[in-house]
Amino acid sequence: MATIREKGYYHWDGRLEERRFPWWPITRTGIQLAFRKKWFKFVFAFGFSPAVVFLVLIYISERLEDFKSMFGGKERLITVNPKFFMDFLTNGFLVFIIVMVLVFAGAGLIADDLKHNSLQIYFARPLRKKDYLLGKMAVIFFFVLILTFVPALVLYVFKLVFAGSFRFVLEYPWLLLSIVGFAALMAVFFAFYTLLLSCLSKNSRYVMIIVFMIYLFSQVFYGIMQSIFRTPYMALFSIYENLLQAGAFLFAQKPPHAVPVVWSFLVLAAVCATSALVLTKKIRATEVIR
Amino acid sequence: MTPVIETKNLSKWYGNVLGLSDVSLEIESGITGLLGPNGAGKSTFMKLITGQMKPNIGAVTIRGKRVWNDYRLFSRVGFCPEPDAFYEDVTGWEFLTGLLRFYGFTRAEAADRATRALAIVELSADKDRKVRSYSRGMRQRVKFAQAIAHDPDVMILDEPFSGLDPLGKRRLIKLVKDFESEGRTVLVSSHVLPEIEAVTSRIIMIHQGKILAQGDIHMVRDLIESHPHMISLRSPAARAVAAAFVDDASVLKMTFGTDGRSLVVETHNRDAFFSRLQAVVVEKGIEVDEIDSPDDNLQAVFDYLVGK
Repeated sequence: MATIREKGYYHWDGRLEERRFPWWPITRTGIQLAFRKKWFKFVFAFGFSPAVVFLVLIYISERLEDFKSMFGGKERLITVNPKFFMDFLTNGFLVFIIVMVLVFAGAGLIADDLKHNSLQIYFARPLRKKDYLLGKMAVIFFFVLILTFVPALVLYVFKLVFAGSFRFVLEYPWLLLSIVGFAALMAVFFAFYTLLLSCLSKNSRYVMIIVFMIYLFSQVFYGIMQSIFRTPYMALFSIYENLLQAGAFLFAQKPPHAVPVVWSFLVLAAVCATSALVLTKKIRATEVIR
Repeated sequence: MTPVIETKNLSKWYGNVLGLSDVSLEIESGITGLLGPNGAGKSTFMKLITGQMKPNIGAVTIRGKRVWNDYRLFSRVGFCPEPDAFYEDVTGWEFLTGLLRFYGFTRAEAADRATRALAIVELSADKDRKVRSYSRGMRQRVKFAQAIAHDPDVMILDEPFSGLDPLGKRRLIKLVKDFESEGRTVLVSSHVLPEIEAVTSRIIMIHQGKILAQGDIHMVRDLIESHPHMISLRSPAARAVAAAFVDDASVLKMTFGTDGRSLVVETHNRDAFFSRLQAVVVEKGIEVDEIDSPDDNLQAVFDYLVGK
């Protein structure tokens, strides 16, 4: 006769708790790991240099009389207006630094998880695929916004402080929205761009090269095509030129290329849509072996 | 009573390869061993019941709730996957506290639970070392710690003993047994029969994606005992050993190797053969270089069960 054993079964009546922001631990880890990388801190700190230069320019523009002798009349060219803020956010050096930051902080975001089989550990926890992706995207949002939106906001505040009046606000009441809109556009685009490339390989070094090369190559390719075909539409091949076009639209400036701005928005949206599609397919707890 | 884990007609295939076929099971609280040779479908089964993969057919429920897409259920489940699955640039402590934050624990709670879990697996002294520098056994232990740190009542352990030294294995076996006494449900997989035997007598045998047998481990042992065993030995006096066993009724067949030093014996009473062999070797002063039991492994038992 079989032994009757006492089952230590206990009935669990508790409520299944949900974390309010389940993606936050992923974001936190991503940011922490980025700062541990050798060259990252240097590159990141360097990303604030355009902000310092633009801050000095704001100061000069508000103290024109003091700098008259130093610049010999050229100081009058410094005008703080929406174009000034657009120039800050779209200047080639800042965008280049952002790409470099993504190379260090973003390339390994998914690639390292794929390499270390971490996805199955994540998805054995109360975490959805969208939480995972949002957590990874938030890492990029953090770095892009801290290099774009935060300094732009600081510049805006300093403009008001140096001017000592709110005339600037009344003159351009929509400017803050433009700053938020363009910084958000950069953050969303670069998040999709980086994660798309990061999920394609298990080797983060390879992804680092690809993130940098695709950005650079799109610009070189645009230059080559432009010189051959001599049509402004070739700007649509360049990531940077498309961002310039979108920036011009958001800051109510004349676009640098004679191409309908909607085309640039469509190109950027297409990259994001492709990324979303690939990420949905690629991110799963277990690698399926066929 | 509702079974803790229930699967109904669970099937999973990868393209043309069948991973799991029509598995219907009820697993109750306590320890259940999932036993099967490599590639039998153990990991597929475990990934299905932890919601890592969607079944092609069938469903899995844990405590009556469907697993697939119910991510909240995993706050009560601890999963220790077979392969290493961690960021290597973080310390063992960071690895655990980071994962604990997914359950909504505060920083202090997460720290407290990580401390306890690391102490249980005896990694407190190495908690501030990077996972990259951990040995195979330490990695296995930290992986186990992440499965228990949030105090789950259902634990799915995929090959938790692999890579552990005998002492580590013994400690882990004791831990798993302690969980049973606390009323938890533990499903532990292995391809090594003695490992499963050490933790539980309740087993599920899986082979080629199908459940072959479910029940008490003694049943398997009996099958092994009734199944003729092959024992091979190498000795300069192989024929002298054979001569000593000619009149032994438990020996069914003896085959000599071409080198004159190897002998393969087929017996239906392995224990009797070994005790007599010891006596013969001592009595006649025979030198034996090697003794091996080629079919004393799980694959042989499975082959036997499926009638190969």
